[in-house]
Amino acid sequence: MNHFKLDNEPKITSGFTTPDGYFDSFSEKVLAQLPKQETKVVSIFSSRKIWYFLAAAVVMLMLSIPIYTKYSVNSEEVDSATLENYIAYQSTISEDEIVDLLEQEDLDKMKLELNVDDKEIEEALNSNTNLEQYIID
Amino acid sequence: MQDEKDFIQELLNPKTQNIAFQKLLRDYQRPLYNHIRSIVLNHDDTDDVLQNTFIKVFRYLKDFKGDSKLFSWMYRIATNEAITFINQKAKRNGTTSEALQTKIVDNLKADTYFDGNEIQIKLQKAVALLPEKQQLVFKMKYYEEIKYEDMSEVLGTSVGALKASYHHAVKKIEDFMKTN
Repeated sequence: MNHFKLDNEPKITSGFTTPDGYFDSFSEKVLAQLPKQETKVVSIFSSRKIWYFLAAAVVMLMLSIPIYTKYSVNSEEVDSATLENYIAYQSTISEDEIVDLLEQEDLDKMKLELNVDDKEIEEALNSNTNLEQYIID
Repeated sequence: MQDEKDFIQELLNPKTQNIAFQKLLRDYQRPLYNHIRSIVLNHDDTDDVLQNTFIKVFRYLKDFKGDSKLFSWMYRIATNEAITFINQKAKRNGTTSEALQTKIVDNLKADTYFDGNEIQIKLQKAVALLPEKQQLVFKMKYYEEIKYEDMSEVLGTSVGALKASYHHAVKKIEDFMKTN
């Protein structure tokens, strides 16, 4: 060994060995540990499903708009003319009952409307030619 | 180089990824095993480090810029993993990585997965006494027969500096072989 020259020696290998068939099964061992391709597919699927549901929901909403507007007219409140007519021609409703429904505010309003000045009354009485007849009666 | 770009694209495309990665495993498992084994020395540890290396390669493939060759990028990951592993193992055992390597080499005869004669063991002992960088250069040049140009890309050291390191390593090894 006194003139040992690495380059003059036959190649000295490391001497390391591996268990039989180690490299045959190594790939599988690694592939099994990689993030699964399937999970990715599932996630794409589920997000696609969400889009389908969303699309279906939008379509349902659009279809329901004409139906909604049609039925909502029927359920609207009775307009004031119909209400007035009803009250006017419905003999079963007494004046007392209507008075009961009037609030203080309504009564004040009515008072204001009746607050006519004397001149107007006079004019009205003068213009009324049948007045004397009424007084006699 | 164009072939390598195509291959990297196959590795990144989810449709071709599985087959491409299997090819990558087939092509690189043996050279990377030898590289890691030369650093961590024991088969079971090498198995762990090699698995981690491929898992990291898979995970960071999308960040691989292609500035360097796939070969040198993978060797760089393997080298880092192996050195980190040996340092952590030494720390756990309350010793230095140099002392740990010397201890493992001293016990090589008892290793089930070592089949070498006296001169092979002696060379391993001589290498274990070298500074870390010289060890790495010697192992890659002598045992793994990697070209200086490729080694330069892996280790980020100039070819000239690598040649000098190898020369120093060989000198020290020859001295050790003569005196022991």
